[in-house]
Amino acid sequence: MTQVVTTATSKVNQILEWFLIQFWKCRAPVTTPGSVWKTAPADNLQQCMNLVMPLSDKSGVGRAMAAKAVASNVDEIFTGLSNVGTVHFARFDLIGANLCMFSVYDGDFASYIRDFISVFGSVFDALMLLVEDPPQLPSELHPESFIEWIRMHDAFQIPGEVTLLFPEEPDIANLPRDVILLLEQNRNVQLGRYSAYPGLSAAQIRLATGVDW
Amino acid sequence: MIVDPAVDLADVQGNILRGYKKRLVRHLVLKVNDAAAARRWLVEATSGDAALAPQVTTTANEEPPTCLNVGMTYAGLDALRVAPDQLATFPQEFIDGMAARAVKLGDTGPSDPCHWKPEWRDPEQVHLVVSIHADVRDRRDETADRVLGAGGSRAFVELARLDGERRSDGVVHFGYKDNIAQPHFDNIRNPTDRPDMQPLVEVGAVLLGYKTPVEDVRWEVPEPREDLGFNGSFGAFRVLEQQVDEFERFLSASADLMMNSPLAYQSLPPKAEDGWDPPLSRHEALRELVAAKILGRWRNGVPLVLSPTSPTPDPRVGTNDLNNFDFTTDPDGLSCPMGSHIRRCNPRSARIVQRNTNHSRRIVRRGMPYGPLYDPNHPDDGVERGLLGVFICASLVAQFESIQYDWMNLGLQDPRITGTNDPVVGNNDPKFSSFKMPAGSSSIELRGFPRFVHTKGGAYLFLPSIRALRYLGSIHH
Repeated sequence: MTQVVTTATSKVNQILEWFLIQFWKCRAPVTTPGSVWKTAPADNLQQCMNLVMPLSDKSGVGRAMAAKAVASNVDEIFTGLSNVGTVHFARFDLIGANLCMFSVYDGDFASYIRDFISVFGSVFDALMLLVEDPPQLPSELHPESFIEWIRMHDAFQIPGEVTLLFPEEPDIANLPRDVILLLEQNRNVQLGRYSAYPGLSAAQIRLATGVDW
Repeated sequence: MIVDPAVDLADVQGNILRGYKKRLVRHLVLKVNDAAAARRWLVEATSGDAALAPQVTTTANEEPPTCLNVGMTYAGLDALRVAPDQLATFPQEFIDGMAARAVKLGDTGPSDPCHWKPEWRDPEQVHLVVSIHADVRDRRDETADRVLGAGGSRAFVELARLDGERRSDGVVHFGYKDNIAQPHFDNIRNPTDRPDMQPLVEVGAVLLGYKTPVEDVRWEVPEPREDLGFNGSFGAFRVLEQQVDEFERFLSASADLMMNSPLAYQSLPPKAEDGWDPPLSRHEALRELVAAKILGRWRNGVPLVLSPTSPTPDPRVGTNDLNNFDFTTDPDGLSCPMGSHIRRCNPRSARIVQRNTNHSRRIVRRGMPYGPLYDPNHPDDGVERGLLGVFICASLVAQFESIQYDWMNLGLQDPRITGTNDPVVGNNDPKFSSFKMPAGSSSIELRGFPRFVHTKGGAYLFLPSIRALRYLGSIHH
């Protein structure tokens, strides 16, 4: 009986929270900040992309098709990433019903995506056939739309440190309204990142370690 | 000119594929006051009847005595009542505008838009930049008056008039001969083109609707494509103030440093300066060497790759050969450092990190000095001087911004310079600035220099085709 009451109370709270968030959104809409550029060159170097692309077929068959699409193009993709020259790491993951590409690269987001359109755009176009609401294809003829689509599916990145979201809240239980609205609007969020070698480019690492850049 | 028959030169504004040779320029920064009158002016300015209004210059004919061209901001297109669904087809960086991209462009600190000249501080007010080139002041002034007079007086509010003047020797305020290197377009030959050892550039590097220099990629053309976007271009208009006294002090301080450095002999052998024409003292020669190393050319325009130890080599580098070189012959920057200005802006065929971008970011530069000549006998005169520059390309984000962000202010193209800024025009801070001149197996590092060029204003402009100007003039609501 106690379990039933607790569950019911929890459900009621969730509904109340939902109404509260909708009310807040009407009163003070949150806009997602765009690209964040820094003034110090080193801060503009290493960037993350956390691309989350919902599959149109979310079943095991759809996931298998996505895995096959990656498998059949993986050599071309990795060669292409190497030719882009600014990529530290890139990996493809299936997470839930999403095909994801997570990468760390140097420099400007638009330049990075444009480079990989020109290097292996046709391969990426094949993956796009498996995702929900794909961008206009082929990407070579719609580069601006494609870049914008990728930007929209890139996880939102908290500008600066995640602790900055809670500047005046010694008690983490008191959640700031802005943070709730920000996370309500952005389902996929990068909360923080660590680099063992901040301020160094992929090419600098390659040069220092004797790998051809 | 020999012309690709695929390009209708009569439809292309005249300052894109060729540069005018005029001595004077006046840029009128305008706000649309009455949209209907402004549209009527566009119709008249493209009517072919100079009695109605000064005509927009195209590329079709020889350069007329007075040239007039028009650029528009996103706010300007909106002010002319371009439909929202058409406005939405313009690229995001153009919609954002230059001020909104300031941090990406390195326009921070003294170059922050909050410090720009008053006419640029509210980007929503800047709608058109009308550029008038002439050799004679009276002609320039008369044309400007006609734009602003009669119908123009109701159409526009003048926010500013910016005047520039080219020196007869082509030298700009830092003392360099300018305007040596411009792209040579595929199938469009200009008799003044000099050999440059670079592949011809697709016309799609500057005009919308054509094959671009990025393999297989085509930029999207604003809609309606044929009426508005096709044969258009984009321009980054920049008011760039040059701190000549700071620059000259830096050269002297660097020469002081190098006078005591044995490494300097690697770059300028002892007594080499005695063979220069005219001969210079060692200190003066080292000043000139530093000026050359940070730019990539001696101040007389001779490229370091062709003449690493003298601005006046024997035999001389002819005017026709000033651009006839490649960095592939200098892979370690012993002649022309990797961090020098011309090598950052255009690495030519040299090895770079982004292997497919060597020739894909070519842009056209149109610039004219403003302000009085610098007098070394009266430094710190407090007078503003600089360059009125228009950087023209088909994709601001893919070309102008990528050069500015990736190459000039990040040095991403070569791991040996990554993390440093362009020494001449970069967003430098004395606390972090660094420039390395490879010398033998080592290098001379110059540090602690400030930013020499401050942005004082600017806007992203759409440079419509003639057909598009007529279309904009014919919008009805």
